[in-house]
Amino acid sequence: MFKNYLKITFRNLAKYKFISFINIFGLTVGLTCCLLILTYILHETSYDRYNRQASRIWRVTRSWNNKEGIVSLRLGAIAPAFGPLLLNDFPDIQKMTRVLPNGTSPVRYEDKIFNEKNLYFADNNLFGVFDVNLIEGDRRNALADPFSIVMTRAVARRYFGDADPINKVVRLNNQANFKVTGIFDPLPSNSHFHPEILLSFATLNDSTIYGAKNLANSFSNNAFFTYVLLPENYPVHNMEAQFPAFLDRHMPPNQKDPTAKVSAGTRLYLQKLTDIHLRSHLDEELEDNGDITRVYIFGAIALFILLIACINYMNLSTARSTLRAKEIGIRKVSGAQRQEIVFQFLSESVLVSYISVLLAAALTWLSLPWINDITGLQLSIKSLLQPAVLIAVVLTPLVVGLLSGMYPALFLSSFQPQQVLKGLFKAGGSSISFRKALVVVQFAVSIILLISTAIVFQQLHYMETASLGFSKDHVLVMSYNNGLDKSYESFRTRLTHDPRILEVSRSSRIPSGRLLDESGASTESGDSLRPVTADIKFVSVDHDFVATYHIPIVAGRDYSRDYATDSTNFLLNIAAAKALGINDPAKLVGRNFGYGGAKGKVIGIMGDFNFESMHQQIVPLILTMPNSHDAGNSFNNISIRLSGNDVPGALAALEKTWKSYLPEVPFEYSFLDDKFDQLYRSEQKQGSLFTCFAGIAIFIACLGLLGLSAFSISQRVKEIGVRKVLGASTGSIVSLLSRDFLKLVAIAALIAFPVAWYTMHSWLGDFAYRISIQWWVFLLAGILAAVVALITISFQAIRAALANPVKSLRSE
Amino acid sequence: MIKISELQKVYRTEEVETIALNKLSFEVKEGEFVSVMGPSGCGKSTLLNILGLLDDPDGGSFLFNGTEVAHFNERKRADLRKRNIGFVFQSFNLIDELTVFENVELPLIYLGVKGPERKQRVEVVLDKMQIMHRRNHYPQQLSGGQQQRVAVARAVVNNPKLILADEPTGNLDSSNGNEVMQLLTDLNEQGTTIIMVTHSEHDSRYSHRIIRMLDGQTVTENILI
Repeated sequence: MFKNYLKITFRNLAKYKFISFINIFGLTVGLTCCLLILTYILHETSYDRYNRQASRIWRVTRSWNNKEGIVSLRLGAIAPAFGPLLLNDFPDIQKMTRVLPNGTSPVRYEDKIFNEKNLYFADNNLFGVFDVNLIEGDRRNALADPFSIVMTRAVARRYFGDADPINKVVRLNNQANFKVTGIFDPLPSNSHFHPEILLSFATLNDSTIYGAKNLANSFSNNAFFTYVLLPENYPVHNMEAQFPAFLDRHMPPNQKDPTAKVSAGTRLYLQKLTDIHLRSHLDEELEDNGDITRVYIFGAIALFILLIACINYMNLSTARSTLRAKEIGIRKVSGAQRQEIVFQFLSESVLVSYISVLLAAALTWLSLPWINDITGLQLSIKSLLQPAVLIAVVLTPLVVGLLSGMYPALFLSSFQPQQVLKGLFKAGGSSISFRKALVVVQFAVSIILLISTAIVFQQLHYMETASLGFSKDHVLVMSYNNGLDKSYESFRTRLTHDPRILEVSRSSRIPSGRLLDESGASTESGDSLRPVTADIKFVSVDHDFVATYHIPIVAGRDYSRDYATDSTNFLLNIAAAKALGINDPAKLVGRNFGYGGAKGKVIGIMGDFNFESMHQQIVPLILTMPNSHDAGNSFNNISIRLSGNDVPGALAALEKTWKSYLPEVPFEYSFLDDKFDQLYRSEQKQGSLFTCFAGIAIFIACLGLLGLSAFSISQRVKEIGVRKVLGASTGSIVSLLSRDFLKLVAIAALIAFPVAWYTMHSWLGDFAYRISIQWWVFLLAGILAAVVALITISFQAIRAALANPVKSLRSE
Repeated sequence: MIKISELQKVYRTEEVETIALNKLSFEVKEGEFVSVMGPSGCGKSTLLNILGLLDDPDGGSFLFNGTEVAHFNERKRADLRKRNIGFVFQSFNLIDELTVFENVELPLIYLGVKGPERKQRVEVVLDKMQIMHRRNHYPQQLSGGQQQRVAVARAVVNNPKLILADEPTGNLDSSNGNEVMQLLTDLNEQGTTIIMVTHSEHDSRYSHRIIRMLDGQTVTENILI
């Protein structure tokens, strides 16, 4: 019997090629989207799971509370002193390992110099906690000795070509020599960090590098990413509960308030290794993380697209019912029970969906490289080749087939043979309205995706073009190098003599980065300074920072070399003045002020500007100027404003000057506007994927509409013939045929609007600075959907309207 | 074999109520060949649908081989139908996507007959209907007469006790029509009960008895032999 079903399925597919094509193609495209999204979700959720001990590795993170007890800062890294103390105080911690990112540093071997970005100091037991494959060298002691370096094969090849890298000596930062003791395989793409060079942690004991004392006692340099290995299924909450006492035991009391418990101001947490990529959004991370919400959003889109494709199948199969009515009648007369007919149609839809899933797998395989290209991800179809996923992939078509086939099967099997065989059958009213409802659902989903796409792009455009409160154009940024400490003024003077270079300045942080440094502020109270509770972040700058960035001064003045005392003076932004409770910021100018250890005066008030990305609110900010002898340690960046004329010439001049001052340091720079663009990269990716999927959703919905309109028009051939004979114009017939479908799109729009509004309103909530949702976006999305639908329908309608009525009437 | 008494069927639309069968009663004995005649709309087809267990009556009694089947559910009706009744239609009603062989095979599939036996039985019937040479053709490749022979083959392949024929020659020319009537007569002579709805006086003469209907009731019964 099943053979008979297969036979008739294939013969029907072959006979009604157009409908079969729409059915299979629509389902294939839908399933391809699902498989692609599944690959993405599997990739995102697989982060760090390649580690055999993944479930036992936890990262120690730290937060700070403000005076109100609210967390004001949370970092993924902690101070160096914590690691050994934790290992000592908690016997359940089996291993502890730390990595310290070293920023961008030049590495030299003979005449080859490269700026290395993914360079980390790492404890010797890193290999005992994480799965790192050491191809050459000894796992147990490759990172044991000070001044040891291990690197990936690609890095080694850069310096040594094909020569054996082991025992070669490279120079880091023109400061210290390191001996190569091992070569390791790069960590997989689904790792939360990707070191290319590891330096032995023992090196940090050297007083010229960091110092053993600092390493053992510092509770303030929170840059050490610290991981602990715990027993399987360990109740981490019990350990976390002991952390406050641990902090109180070891940390020195707060200088400002020696009576307060240390644990009231800061806390430690354990974070699961496998949670880092999707669920950790701390203020400092090793790399940009993913987001579980995005995984959910794409999961939902996959289901939506699959739903649209299933609806197509239901719709077309039900619409085609009159063509199958006779067959069903005969089968019933020949003794088929209703459930046998149901089974027949279900097996048909399941078969179609298996054909589609095979095609979809091939399409996924073909399109992955392209998807990787536009998203910058490294997705692989191999991720689908695991038992649990394969079972799901094999079962999905069954579910899809049953789901999309159930309604048509029940509907078709309910035909009364005596009616259909007499040719009295007409698709009933209820089935027509059900099909209409399905079309409405399809278009509603498509319109929601369209509106979402438009709003994502509007917000992106806004963030990229909105005034930041300073000028980011023609600003070039570079890493500051301590080699310039002594000769900086002459370096700067030489540069600014070039008319193409307008300003040069140094700072601890640059716009587009985060503002994470904070110290205590104190304001004038009578004759003395009294600490205030306001959180004010600081950036260390030199005289030229404000001028380089064109930051407006709304009251007072900028730093100036004319005032010798300016190194103890401060510039505040308006937000800082407000945080201090002062409504007229100008009143602060000239007042005594204290910040960190320094005491001086407020010399000026800056207008508020977006130092950080538009995701963040503008926070209270103070600019401080370090003493000249302290400058080297305070500055990490150089910012250079170009005039914008002859940029290549300016860059060449800059490089020449750089090389004459810093021959050991590669000349590398980036433009600030690119850095700002990068802040919104994940939204851009989201935007392009949204566009892609919205397009596909509309496309599949239109395929369905195309099939449905073709069918419904074929049912009305006689009516069209009669109308034409009676004098109807082609236009009036096309409008007659299109009107019904356009009504459905209009209903879909009415359903889609509030849903899209609500969804996008919550999405925009993540941005501190955002667009307001415009009504015309909705109108435009609705009109676009209607136009696409109209084009689809007219395709068929015009053909029907142009047909010679004599033919259609004769065929009756 | 069949005994109906006081059989009633009423079709209702929103405004109109049409009485298709009005307390109709008659009996058909095993081995009989009965023609049902009457003008369009007199209830012939409704009667045939009820006799074929494709439809259920609104009232009255319908005994099939002594069993009351008037209120059988769909499942029971389908079961009884596939074991006992064969159908021949005016418009042949062959499945266009299946070959001659596959069309004739269909009732046996639903009876659960195994493959080899099915093949043998279909071949016997096709041979008897003289369309064996057309076994792999599709219905649209056959003439009307050939199509109706396939339909008759399909109706008899499961050896039904009763064949219901609804104007079996209505779409055929006279020579093909006569062939089909001869086939039915042969089947009847071999013991199959036949009830045929027809407009053709000529065809009705092949039967033993004519039931004439008007407005859902029998008006006369003519016994021909």
